[in-house]
Amino acid sequence: MNNLLSIEWMKVKKYPTFWIMAGMFAFLLPLWNYGINKGFLKMDGGKSGIDLIDKAYNFNNVWGNLGWWTSVFVVFISVLVIILATNEYSFRTNRQNIIDGWTRLQALHAKWLMVFALAAGTTIYVFITGVIFGIANDTISNFPGDITSLFYVFILSLNYYGFALLIAYLFKRSGIGIGIFFLYHMIIENLARSFINWRFDYPAGDLLPLQASDELLPFPLVEIAKSFVQTEEKITATTFVAVSLAWVAVYYIISRFRLLKTDW
Amino acid sequence: METILSINSISKSYGPIQALKNVSFNVPQGSVFGILGPNGSGKTTMLGIILDVLKADAGTYQWLGGTPNAEARRSIGSLLETPNFYHYMTAWDNLEIAAAIKQHGKDDRQAVLEKTGLWQRKSSKFKTFSLGMKQRLAIASTLLGNPDVLVFDEPTNGLDPAGIAEIRELIMQLNREGKTIIMASHLLDEVEKVCTHVAILKRGDLLLSGKVDEVLVSEDQVEVSATDIPALLSIISAMPGIHNVKQINGALQLNCDSHITPAQVNEYCMQNGIALSHLALRKKSLETKFMELTNK
Repeated sequence: MNNLLSIEWMKVKKYPTFWIMAGMFAFLLPLWNYGINKGFLKMDGGKSGIDLIDKAYNFNNVWGNLGWWTSVFVVFISVLVIILATNEYSFRTNRQNIIDGWTRLQALHAKWLMVFALAAGTTIYVFITGVIFGIANDTISNFPGDITSLFYVFILSLNYYGFALLIAYLFKRSGIGIGIFFLYHMIIENLARSFINWRFDYPAGDLLPLQASDELLPFPLVEIAKSFVQTEEKITATTFVAVSLAWVAVYYIISRFRLLKTDW
Repeated sequence: METILSINSISKSYGPIQALKNVSFNVPQGSVFGILGPNGSGKTTMLGIILDVLKADAGTYQWLGGTPNAEARRSIGSLLETPNFYHYMTAWDNLEIAAAIKQHGKDDRQAVLEKTGLWQRKSSKFKTFSLGMKQRLAIASTLLGNPDVLVFDEPTNGLDPAGIAEIRELIMQLNREGKTIIMASHLLDEVEKVCTHVAILKRGDLLLSGKVDEVLVSEDQVEVSATDIPALLSIISAMPGIHNVKQINGALQLNCDSHITPAQVNEYCMQNGIALSHLALRKKSLETKFMELTNK
């Protein structure tokens, strides 16, 4: 297993696109939050005069707050996953890896290990960023506060990257893969979710692949507002975690079936 | 002689196109085995199947007497269709990945790059290589770990004449070292020059397979010439065992029974008062044989 991951690392460490995409995530996530924290980036356009979310960087709130922004910025890494997986098709190195002695399952597992490693890396990075924002806005004695959202960051990253990998395996070309990913993420899923939630009493639309994880990390203002108003949650966080993991399993099963049965 | 690769009744279709029809043959140890056929005859499909990048619809194959396939692939060096490397990485780093997957051969990188004339360009990115250099790198990669079996699909693709000669010499040298080489080619000349065994495919059918000598054994031709060609013609035409005599460019080409040797021809002519100025045994060229077979 280590061997598979170390070979994947050999492939990415010399790849400029990897460093650019990962760097964009690593640079923009803290910079964006710094802007909000310092008040020069206003989420309500500065009209209301109320800046609740710039107060959300104490240890208790920083994880949920950073978690929400992570759910926006993970698209960089998701696109990176698509590029890395489709590169193997365009360079035909997917074939070469098999010819050189990997089994098809090893080739699949190498990429899935990379997805896990990227999800773990994202979570660790959000943790470090959270600690820095927390220390800057709170006393260290309040560390770690309500850190459950950090676990949700891992689940969400895993879900997004796993979904991106499946898209890459289904479409094999980076252009179409990235296009389909955004089309699904921004339009199809929103449309399907709204339709399902409008049509049925139970908000089953919230359980769609990416949305199931997005529900774990809602927009910070919503959370703060909820603390003032009593609302009834129809679906618990535990359910969203379980459904997100179930989707990851579905991506794995479909990708496994596809890679094992078809020509390369 | 041990069998390196055994192919049993393999069939494969791409939609309505049947690329391979029930093909079987064995590759003996120590041979240079040519898989020959025109474009689209199923050569690369066959190699793709035995290297597990394509799935056969029916049939089986066995490497090295039943070694699990992935393990067998790690111990053989293969080049399939095109050189496949990471474009953004150097020759050196690409070979590191190949060696890591094979689980051996990392220390051979310098030797194989020198052998294929790429050592000076080891730090150049793959995308900066010419087609011929890419092909050389693919061949270099197959040599990692000094494998006993090599699979080459059109190994001289994209090479200049000097490169083609070098790769041929390399293949023959590898064979002299006792390695088994399985090679697909549509270049008959290439197969004829280096192969000991041959399998000929046409639109997915295996037309024949066997030793090059045996496949072509009855097709030998003896070429003779003398100062007095008409006299030679009348004498030689009467020789027992000679079927057909053709005059080509000041020489006579004789189709004869397989037991007739050039020495017998020479002796017969001497007995009949003709001194030969030229005597040569010509195997019927594979190209002629191939055209005959594939045009049937």
